[in-house]
Amino acid sequence: MANPSNKKTAPKRNAASTTNPLSVWWNQQASAIKFSMERLWFNPVSTWITLAAIAIALSLPTSLHLLLKNMQTLTADKREVPTITLFLKQSVAEQQAKDRAELLSEMPEIDNVRVVTREEALADFRKITGFAQTLETLDENPLPHVLILTPRLSLLGDLEMDVEGLSKKLKAFPEVDDVQIDVEWVQRLRGILRIAERIVLVVSILLGLTVLLVVGNTIRLDIENRKEEIRVTQLIGATNAYIRRPFIYNGIWLGLFGGVLSLVIVHVALLFLVEPVTKLANLYGSTFILSGIDVFMTLKILLASSLLGIIGSWLAVGRYLWQSDDAIKD
Amino acid sequence: MIEFKQVSKKYPTGQLALYNINLTLEAGEMVFITGHSGAGKSTLLKLVAMLERPSKGEVLIGGRSLSKLGRGQIPNYRRRIGFIFQDPHLLYDRSVFDNIALPLRIAGMGQSETRRRVQAALDKVGLTGRETTFPLMLSAGEKQRVGIARAMVNKPTIILADEPTGNLDPELAQDIMFTFAQFNELGATVMIASHDHGLVERMKKRTIVLQKVD
Repeated sequence: MANPSNKKTAPKRNAASTTNPLSVWWNQQASAIKFSMERLWFNPVSTWITLAAIAIALSLPTSLHLLLKNMQTLTADKREVPTITLFLKQSVAEQQAKDRAELLSEMPEIDNVRVVTREEALADFRKITGFAQTLETLDENPLPHVLILTPRLSLLGDLEMDVEGLSKKLKAFPEVDDVQIDVEWVQRLRGILRIAERIVLVVSILLGLTVLLVVGNTIRLDIENRKEEIRVTQLIGATNAYIRRPFIYNGIWLGLFGGVLSLVIVHVALLFLVEPVTKLANLYGSTFILSGIDVFMTLKILLASSLLGIIGSWLAVGRYLWQSDDAIKD
Repeated sequence: MIEFKQVSKKYPTGQLALYNINLTLEAGEMVFITGHSGAGKSTLLKLVAMLERPSKGEVLIGGRSLSKLGRGQIPNYRRRIGFIFQDPHLLYDRSVFDNIALPLRIAGMGQSETRRRVQAALDKVGLTGRETTFPLMLSAGEKQRVGIARAMVNKPTIILADEPTGNLDPELAQDIMFTFAQFNELGATVMIASHDHGLVERMKKRTIVLQKVD
């Protein structure tokens, strides 16, 4: 169509299309961020309730994970290291026992070997109340030399480690009378922890879905309240991206602040636990210290919660936009 | 600029709003659409704004058929149009300034440029100094003028107004019509639907009368 030959010319198109796209992008982000923040303050009660729901849902898997981590460090505690005890035959001399210890310590499965001579063992027994008199009545020391082996810790994590095989191998030595293996409980505990890990994973997924639903539903309600506004902005040329943006930021804030709140909850709970746990550990003669959330884990939690917020709001807005695609008539 | 080719519009309810419309508007033209209520004035404007799609025929803007516009292109197309409704559809939780700034924010304009443009638009509709007021505190005429300022602020090439003076007293109505004429002077193509014959006649512009179809 030709322009009519009068002096009128079409007015300049909106200036934004001529300015640089990066600043357009930034201006749109900035106004969406500002607007979504204002929305949170706009309705503080519902915001706090939503944040609390998210925080509680997040703090449960976080604390379970923490519990698990602490139990794993417990089994890795050097002082609680599991041992294999070799009872040597009565006929074996002290020097023979020491030679055998020397040889054993060169086996790949073994970290170190300690020799407890029968004299030392007897002395130990004497220290235990009640045994002293009993021991007096004996003519000679009934105790054998004992070798205490510490297996390599890394092997214990491996459930496939052939405890039976090792036991048989040790028993085959001529000096050895009996083998008592004390590592099975560690393996069992680790097996249990592995199951617990799976449970934590399942709980995390379920509660992550809860966060997703909470955010999604909150955003959905927000959309309901702002239908008129969305319609008006669509009438004056808002793209779906523009409409989606403040809701997505809203989802990020809900996820992020919910995550922060859940960290606060977990920290407070930890503070509450530290003292009794330390006391209990002391009773067991352990230096175990309850470990908290490190920086890396903090970041991971915040990242995950923000991501859940984004996904939740994306789904809610996407559903609305999909439904309303042809329904923006006046 | 705007061309209707054998356009008919039938609503899903069975109501025939427009029948076989052929109409051409030059760029920079200002026309009035009159006719009885129910004659399809609003529908005609909505077809241009792509708020409705024709049942038959096609609408061409600048030689391009609107039916060829993809879904993703509609927002961008609408930004070139200023639509003024009988009910101005203001956002009641935002100030006059924020209402008028909305199209600029959608386009991603910077703060200072936005402020300048909104001030200019407020000035044109005679609402300078009312930036921080909220729509609830405005009279019907003022609300309408905020709606007009919002439609103008992005300097659209096409201005569509559906009964823009419906709720206003005659003096104000006249004022607003002159405002539209001013925008037209600046080069915008203007289509105004109105049933106020006296007012339309005084404006001395091309007038299209729609007959009600049975």
